[in-house]
Amino acid sequence: MASSGPIISVERMSKHYRVHQRSAGLLSALGSLVSRRHDIKRAVEEISFAISPGERVGFLGPNGAGKTTTLKVLAGLLHPTSGSVQVAGFVPQRREARFLQQITLVMGQKQQLLWDLPPADTFQLNRAVYDVPQAVFNDTLAELDRLLGLSAISRIPTRQLSLGERMKCELAAALLHRPRVLFLDEPTIGLDVSMQVTLREFVRRYNERFGATVLLTSHYMDDVAALCPRVIVIDRGTLRYDGDLPGLVRSIRPHKRVTLRLGGTPCDQGRAEDQLRRVGELLSWDGTQAVLQIGKDQLREGVAHLLGVLPVLDLTVEDPPLEEVMRDLFERSAP
Amino acid sequence: MRRYLRLLRASLRLSLLLAMQYRWDFIGHGLMQLVWTSLGVLPLWIAYQARAAAGLSALGGYSFPQALTVFGFFTLLKALLDGAINPSLTAVVEHIRTGTLDFILLKPADAQFLVSTARQEPWRIIDAATGIGFVVFGMAGHIHQGGAPPGLGALLGAGLLLLCAMLLLYSIWILVICAAFYVVRIDNLSFLFTSLFDFARWPRSVFRGALHVLFTFVVPLVLMTSYPAEALLGLLRPPQLLLAVVWTGLLLCLCRLAWRRSLAAYTSASS
Repeated sequence: MASSGPIISVERMSKHYRVHQRSAGLLSALGSLVSRRHDIKRAVEEISFAISPGERVGFLGPNGAGKTTTLKVLAGLLHPTSGSVQVAGFVPQRREARFLQQITLVMGQKQQLLWDLPPADTFQLNRAVYDVPQAVFNDTLAELDRLLGLSAISRIPTRQLSLGERMKCELAAALLHRPRVLFLDEPTIGLDVSMQVTLREFVRRYNERFGATVLLTSHYMDDVAALCPRVIVIDRGTLRYDGDLPGLVRSIRPHKRVTLRLGGTPCDQGRAEDQLRRVGELLSWDGTQAVLQIGKDQLREGVAHLLGVLPVLDLTVEDPPLEEVMRDLFERSAP
Repeated sequence: MRRYLRLLRASLRLSLLLAMQYRWDFIGHGLMQLVWTSLGVLPLWIAYQARAAAGLSALGGYSFPQALTVFGFFTLLKALLDGAINPSLTAVVEHIRTGTLDFILLKPADAQFLVSTARQEPWRIIDAATGIGFVVFGMAGHIHQGGAPPGLGALLGAGLLLLCAMLLLYSIWILVICAAFYVVRIDNLSFLFTSLFDFARWPRSVFRGALHVLFTFVVPLVLMTSYPAEALLGLLRPPQLLLAVVWTGLLLCLCRLAWRRSLAAYTSASS
């Protein structure tokens, strides 16, 4: 490790694409053969952030926000239009071998495993490509096997593996050279809940075991909430938030969600509803169970009042779901 | 250098594993190749039979054994084209189309090397062996008809020109791949090249005028098969050898330049 400075540093980085545009229809298609109209798509616009070694950072944003473009710039696959980017002390776009030895990119929607051969053969190929000594390779593979349970699946042809098994092997193939920086682009996409938890847990343990830096994009908020103490939110190419997750929730939805289950008779329901509405915004109410949204400042007083006047059987206080927070955030920034 | 040899070995090993994954395909392909390659000599044989029936022995100044030597070099290079170049080409074009070229570009090795050695068809080794057989058979016939056996200089010259031929073929193929970065589907371009390459089975004296220029400089088929054969037969002059070497160097530089420009223009497929 070179220094205690950031391992990833992005300053005013922009990435613009020139895209061909035409209307639907034959005439327009014929016209485009002669003369083409091009637009500039601003995928990423002057974003800046820095990530310290060993951090786990969630990279959030709706489809087309510029997340994958940013990851590809950081991995050296795309050249930024302007601004500066440094990863592990290297300029990624130069794609120096020493830089590529230190990073990995896992894309949930693309695979590097050889389709007709067992993953073990892809592992061997990567060992040769990354020039990993046999002893180190054996150790790493044993460690990955312990964390992911590969031995039962790595000798079956890839095409015969389930999506979850394939993703485990994809991760293993991407980590055999023990990279210091992991770019994970939707690694749990399409997986069932239990496999998502397995992979999430694996990423956390890999990060703790090897001190690797993780930058993760995912549409599953549970992934981000469980894995990433810090989130960076990007929308339409611009940076909207950089900080911890509770801070993001506080800034967008400064409320708590209170769920109450009430006892009592049906004739009490009208009175109960009045009391609930006095304390906060009533999101749902079926006569026995109510979901209330209460401002954080009024929470203590409001809950005490409800406990005093209503026959409360059960009560939970939670932050609003992350999905709703994100929806709010992106709706606010919509033009 | 040693690392790249190890990488080549790893890639060959994978291709062999892939070929053997479907064992009946492996056996079937091997046998079919032997039959097809052997039948490939028929057009040449028929042409010479027709000449013989007309009371002539040579075609464009080439006797049958001499033409067979050219055909041997053609078969050898066709084995390289079908065994190493076309399979990798198909794989790379697919990588560019789907965006999985990203994985190759993320590897800490020269991307052009990785792309070039992506896939091989091991059973084409049968074609290569058959090609060498035709060269040996053609040379034996040439000597039997009173031709001089090749000396050390001729053998070295033929070896050098064979190397040039392989590099020329490789350079043209890289240029075709570079086109895939811009036009995505290059099937027609590869079909065109495969069809054009078929002309390389004929001795160069068959082509005259513009065709001779086309097949010497633009699509240098003459340099690939006729020149090595002529070096072996003792018919090639030193300036021609020099021309082949210089032309190979130029095309290699051009293909490296085109590769770099294409990579810089690569935008990766959408996520």
